[in-house]
Amino acid sequence: MKNLFTILICFLITNNFNAQERYITKHGTISFFSHSPVEDIEAINSQVLSIIDKENGNIAISILMKSFMFEKSLMQEHFNENYIESDKFPKATFTGKILNINNLENKNSVLIEGDMTIHGISNKIEIEADIEINKNDISLKGKFPIVVSDYDIKIPSVVKNNIAKTIEVSFLLNHKKYN
Amino acid sequence: MSKKKILIFLVLSIIIVTSLFIYKEYNKPHINVAKATPKIVINSQQILKEYQENENKANTKYLDQIVQISGKVSKLEATNDNRIIITLKNDDKSAISTVICHLTSEENNKLKKLKEGQNIIVKGICTGYLMDIILIRCVLVKI
Repeated sequence: MKNLFTILICFLITNNFNAQERYITKHGTISFFSHSPVEDIEAINSQVLSIIDKENGNIAISILMKSFMFEKSLMQEHFNENYIESDKFPKATFTGKILNINNLENKNSVLIEGDMTIHGISNKIEIEADIEINKNDISLKGKFPIVVSDYDIKIPSVVKNNIAKTIEVSFLLNHKKYN
Repeated sequence: MSKKKILIFLVLSIIIVTSLFIYKEYNKPHINVAKATPKIVINSQQILKEYQENENKANTKYLDQIVQISGKVSKLEATNDNRIIITLKNDDKSAISTVICHLTSEENNKLKKLKEGQNIIVKGICTGYLMDIILIRCVLVKI
């Protein structure tokens, strides 16, 4: 899976190089928020890699799980060691398509369809995002929920009340034209 | 009577010590990269070579470790919340991979001293490899 993704990224970057329709960010932000009666947990990752091919709307996003920064180091430790198992699954990826990217007609929201892989498990998802397309940049912004059990992430019963069953994920990706 | 008192005292002390331990553990601070000794000292070209040859093998060596890297600044940028991002140059011009270092906000005051093309030494925690090697919580060791 990981190799497939690397190939896809190389393909996205090198293929059709003259078209000049690739947009990329290496410093996108993805954060997640878990609310529970016991505590709120938030983590931010500002090293998100995302590439858009504007010609067909293809998008590939990749993040490192170890890059999530938590307020408390204990939360970060539990997240990496017990829940996400980031030594075994160091990355999460999304590959999909921004629908109708070239026929937006003044609309500023788009639907993105694709496969999300977290903790070694892939699921088809649909995300609504705000989009802004300029000559040299494309920005995507939005929020979507993730059900923890969909990705086979096991939460021990002792801390069951500390972690929400559905996590809210926010993203802000400011792509720049790649040249 | 006095035996009972001792028992109560013992139980209370155990409860207090345990709570203190849990509290301390829960509020354990993040590792202070500035003060920590780096586990590995290397230059940007060497670590890039290792990651390009075998990402999994390199991960077992570098992931989550405090790594001190020397290299040449190729790009200076800022995050959405205004922290410095330094990209270290890859001498292999055909390669697209670089080393990306995200500095802590405490390093913001050193921005004026930083220039593209300059040789620096930076210390941070390696979180892995996407298109580039990524280091977070970085501090500048030598400008």
